[in-house]
Amino acid sequence: MLYVVLIPLLLACLIPFISKMKHNIHTGIPVLLIPSAIFIYFIRFVGTNFEPMRQSYNWIPSLGINFDFYLDGLSLLFALLISGIGALVVLYSIYYLDSQERLGHFYVYLLMFMSAMLGIVLSDNIFVLYTFWELTSISSFLLIGYWHFNEKSRYGALKSLLITVLGGLSMFGGFILLSVMTGTSSIQIMIQNAEVIMNSPYMPLALGFILLGAFTKSAQFPFHIWLPDAMEAPTPVSAYLHSATMVKAGLFLVARFSPIFAGFEWFFIIVSIAGIVTLCWGSYMAVHQTDLKAILAFSTISQLGMIMAMLGFGTKLAIFAAVFHILCHATFKGSLFMVAGIVDHEAGTRDIRNLGGLMTLMPMSAALALFGTFSMAGIPLPFLNGFYSKELFFKSTLKLPEGTHVITTFLVEVIPYLAVFGSIFTFVYSLYFLFGTFGGQKQLDKLPKRPHEAPVGMLIAPLVLVLGVIIIGLFPNAFNGAFIAHAAESVAGTEVIKEITFWHGFGSTAFQMSLVVVAAGILLVSTRRKWSMIYSFVPGRASANHIYDAAIAQLDNGSRHINTFIMTGSLRRYMAIILGTVFLITFGFMLATGGFTIDFSNLADVTITEIAVVLVIIAAAVGTIFTKHNLGAILVAGVVGYGVSLLFVIYRAPDLALTQLVVETISVALFLLCFYHLPKLRNEKPQVRTRWINGTVSIGFGALMTLIGISAHSSDWFSSISDYFLETSHSLGGGDNVVNVILVDMRGLDTLFEITVLGIAALAIYSLIKLKNNRGAK
Amino acid sequence: MNNLVVLPIITPLIAGIILAFFPKKLQWVRPLSKLFILFNLILAGALVWVVFTNGTTILETGDWKAPYGIVLVADKLAALLVFTTNIVAAACSFYAPHSLTDRKETYYFYSFFFFLISGVSGAFLTGDLFNMFVFYEVLLMASYALIVLGGDKVQLRESIKYVFINLFSSMLFVTAVAFVYGTVGTVNMAQIAQRVHEVDQQGILTTIGILMFFVFAVKAALFPLYYWMPNSYAVPNPVISALFGALLTKVGIYSIIRVFSLIFVHNVELTHDMFIWIAGLSMIFGIIGALSTNNIKLIIAYNIIPAIGFILMGIGVFNQFALSGSIYYLIHDMFIKSSLFLLAGTVVYAAGTSDLRKVSGLIHYYPVLGWLLFLSGFILAGIPPFSGFIGKLLLLKGALASREIAIVIIGLLASLLILYSIMKIFINSFWGEKDESIQPISLKGRIAPIVILLALSVFLGIGAEFIYPFIESVSADLLQPEIYIDAILKE
Amino acid sequence: MEFIISILAGVLFSTAIYNLLQKQLLRVIIGTVLLSHGAHLFILTMGKLKRGAPPILTEEGGPYTDPLPQALILTSIVISFGITSLLLVLAYRTANENDTDNMEQLRGNENE
Repeated sequence: MLYVVLIPLLLACLIPFISKMKHNIHTGIPVLLIPSAIFIYFIRFVGTNFEPMRQSYNWIPSLGINFDFYLDGLSLLFALLISGIGALVVLYSIYYLDSQERLGHFYVYLLMFMSAMLGIVLSDNIFVLYTFWELTSISSFLLIGYWHFNEKSRYGALKSLLITVLGGLSMFGGFILLSVMTGTSSIQIMIQNAEVIMNSPYMPLALGFILLGAFTKSAQFPFHIWLPDAMEAPTPVSAYLHSATMVKAGLFLVARFSPIFAGFEWFFIIVSIAGIVTLCWGSYMAVHQTDLKAILAFSTISQLGMIMAMLGFGTKLAIFAAVFHILCHATFKGSLFMVAGIVDHEAGTRDIRNLGGLMTLMPMSAALALFGTFSMAGIPLPFLNGFYSKELFFKSTLKLPEGTHVITTFLVEVIPYLAVFGSIFTFVYSLYFLFGTFGGQKQLDKLPKRPHEAPVGMLIAPLVLVLGVIIIGLFPNAFNGAFIAHAAESVAGTEVIKEITFWHGFGSTAFQMSLVVVAAGILLVSTRRKWSMIYSFVPGRASANHIYDAAIAQLDNGSRHINTFIMTGSLRRYMAIILGTVFLITFGFMLATGGFTIDFSNLADVTITEIAVVLVIIAAAVGTIFTKHNLGAILVAGVVGYGVSLLFVIYRAPDLALTQLVVETISVALFLLCFYHLPKLRNEKPQVRTRWINGTVSIGFGALMTLIGISAHSSDWFSSISDYFLETSHSLGGGDNVVNVILVDMRGLDTLFEITVLGIAALAIYSLIKLKNNRGAK
Repeated sequence: MNNLVVLPIITPLIAGIILAFFPKKLQWVRPLSKLFILFNLILAGALVWVVFTNGTTILETGDWKAPYGIVLVADKLAALLVFTTNIVAAACSFYAPHSLTDRKETYYFYSFFFFLISGVSGAFLTGDLFNMFVFYEVLLMASYALIVLGGDKVQLRESIKYVFINLFSSMLFVTAVAFVYGTVGTVNMAQIAQRVHEVDQQGILTTIGILMFFVFAVKAALFPLYYWMPNSYAVPNPVISALFGALLTKVGIYSIIRVFSLIFVHNVELTHDMFIWIAGLSMIFGIIGALSTNNIKLIIAYNIIPAIGFILMGIGVFNQFALSGSIYYLIHDMFIKSSLFLLAGTVVYAAGTSDLRKVSGLIHYYPVLGWLLFLSGFILAGIPPFSGFIGKLLLLKGALASREIAIVIIGLLASLLILYSIMKIFINSFWGEKDESIQPISLKGRIAPIVILLALSVFLGIGAEFIYPFIESVSADLLQPEIYIDAILKE
Repeated sequence: MEFIISILAGVLFSTAIYNLLQKQLLRVIIGTVLLSHGAHLFILTMGKLKRGAPPILTEEGGPYTDPLPQALILTSIVISFGITSLLLVLAYRTANENDTDNMEQLRGNENE
């Protein structure tokens, strides 16, 4: 299976070469072979006697990151969707995309996505799953930005990237939590040890992290906002990634992990609320759109919400219905996207206000759209798969799990009504899509092109999908036993074979709900213009999009504000903040650890001379602050240096005293030399407030250093290593001046690099002066 | 005892001195410098091999036995970092002739370059606290020389702040070393560790430890001490920025790892908990900085701060996973930061401006450059399967095992925003309409070093199985300071 | 006496930092010089003061003053000298190039 997953990715590397070769074959034609082959590979597994299988390949075993593939009913269903729809989409794209486009890029991204998506559904290893998960985000980003000369494409691409990667990272956090709890990175082993996870105090956190990942990827409210903008991608991509496969990755994730979390009441509450709200909001908003693809995008959002809700219900029936609907949705929504693409391609616009009456001009497309929309609307006809799944959905809302929490009780009451509400609007937008495009008056003058029926090749792919709609509708149970049941079983954990029947009798509540939907739907469609002003109240101008845009603007502007506040470029402020921080925290630590100690024993005596020198140094040091003239300040600073060398003499350090004297003299000379030429700027007195701050910081810091110095001196636990130097200086070092022996022998390395420092300084000064002079000459 | 330990320090020193004699003869200097750095790379590789087969290898300089003389210690961490340093440096030396003007090259660029490598390697390898100060000065002095090379107005303005703040922290360093000597009577790190352990890290020692932490934190550009860094790293030539970004801040964070895994490990609840806070704040403020600007080079420079935050987070959490993560991240960041600086430099060169709003559609002319930048964004953000991912996985795993939830959430959000900050460059400057007015210029010689660095980064991720066992043994050693101490003090 | 020298070193740190926080470039450099004096005095005190003769071995033998801090200070003095010289030239060039020796006017901002 490793090869199956990686082949698209590897072959993607060849695409640029193929597409560069000068020939007349569309790049899509060789590409078409890949998903077809994969589809054939997976279709062999379909059958009633299917058993889950696993294959493992080592990657990074020491971190528990391995290609552990696990093919069960759920992953098989997804793998077939990915490869099957993938093949149809590639076929469709051959006619949709002109060979003048950068086809190489397109197919590389598409194949990359195919690998990634297969990887997600087949991986049992959470980290590998996460790897592929992010790869789908990346390929989706590139595909949405395929026409990146459009501002809107760039906007949509970035939006989808940020939202889905946010979710991905959150999911990653959840995965790490799970792996820390269970000590494994295999989902199946986690499911076996669900007890451990359920008993962990961090389980809700892990669940929250993972659900955030699922909700962002599957465009659940309020994270759905990226999906409508993703419609900037070429239509084959919308049909493939943004309706049939990638957006279902979130559903897949929830389904995969529901055996672990299903017993947890909040799982039901959160997932069903997210799902049902998304269902209602998506279908409600779809009616308000004018772009064909936007209608379909909101419709996808709403359908995803419906499936998510069913996964949240967690009953056997609901899971079965969810899995069934994943398949159904892929068929009818895929075909509708392709029809929308055809209309766009042939009529030159997707704006439903300018379309209409195309039925006579594009009869085939109209017929395809008819099946697709009727199935989506759930019209009770025995050859439409959408009706079956809608009925199952209604049925599942009537038998919700019992819980103790008050929210659960509330949800059990309202969900059936919300389901009907959402479905009514589903009905409305389905017919709105169909009649707005193909019915009504022709408005050919508003179209950029004169529309005509699409070439046959372009119609094949949607036709196959519509045939799927009908075949599943006619023989639902044929698919049921073959793989839907297996898929549902791997989610629910137990056998869930349900017979799907068309007719339940008038007495069945689900059928009554369907009738309500149809009746109310027809009423609303016919009066759409009268009530559409409602959209100016709800949502009005409120939109999650505004929040996103504001957040992005805030990221840019807010951070700029904060940063210009921090990064003033003023050395003084930088130093003040650095010093303040070091002072406060170090002092805090001193207090917290009782670090200050003072011990008056074992001190050297105090003599008048020393005191006098100390006082002179202090006076001179303070003098550097108060001297107004530059020259004065330099000289006073020199006094400090000479004072220090005097101290060195007193404290029996002749070498130091000598060095200090020489260095000080040269330094003062250098100071004078450099500042002789400078503009005669007086030392301006800073403001009083600044002076106070400066004063406090400097006195505080000096005091801190003194305190540490005294404590360090008073903590006399060990003898110094210097004793060894005194002992061995003569015998091993061959010198009597111990300081010199240390410098040249014992710590010779220090001295070597000390000289290096001087050497570098000399070179640096030389180049600093020279580089300028030469330029001045130019 | 093995003289190999000193060679990665001495070879660049000698190289730097030799090259200083005939700086104008670029036809000699360029190939020689490449030769020297490759030779040094081989030496560093040999050192890694020796250390990982025989364990910690030391060299007592001048044959003065430890703890009295200066001892150089090549433990696994130091050896790996020296090796990584040399890889980055080698890549930079191949990029340098294409990016620097001849005039800058003749003004001792290569000498300073080698002195910098020498100082960095020394700081990694020394086992003596005062000697570490000396090596710090070597690398800082070389960095001062490099940062002003050319002497533009802006460059001078930013570098003087850089010098002041680093000078201040150096003086604080020396004082802290003095305090350590005053309390435990030695400057040998192994012996300091031993003695600190004997008195159970009394309060004053913790205080001195924190003072020392701040010294290193200034060099490492941690919150709130990073002010000097972004602008001064963005002004010099890209090669120099790459060297700084990859090496200098890393020396600071290395010293924190060393000191707070070897010496001050007896009051972890207090010290290391604070590190986690600082790590989180560094991530937040670093990313704020990166998002605040439209200057491509500054975006990269600001991105150093959250990376250092990630590394510090592992030290703060202080368990096997987190520490492995820190080290993985450290090595990853050396590669990716250097390649990002080189990339940013190339983009600025190709675009003729460092403002990402002023240019668009570069991908039509520079597709390779664009895709390299795209890739590096994902590597930097820790998106699998690249190197940042492995480091981040280990760090977050360690943090979660120690129940540090808040820092994990900050870390995940920071990753997202890091990605955003790089994608901003890609989307704004590379995507967009083809601008017919652009005259594409040759990027000859600039792409190859970047490709090599990025390839190593990718390998560090995909080939983690080959790397991780080494890293794991590094962090296992770090968690047992006795290994280090015994290697030096037990004869 | 050690404590008095510690206080002196502390005062040197304080004045140094006050100078570092000044606007004028010259004062800032003076600050760094004072800072190094303070640091050196701290090193000196850490080795205990006046515990014997200068560390030059003689026939009579001990006690001698601790030689190690002296060696460290010597190294540090030389390094500080190198940095100060570089800093001076750098300051000179910066001030000339930017026509000011006022640090507040050397802020610059990133958007140029």
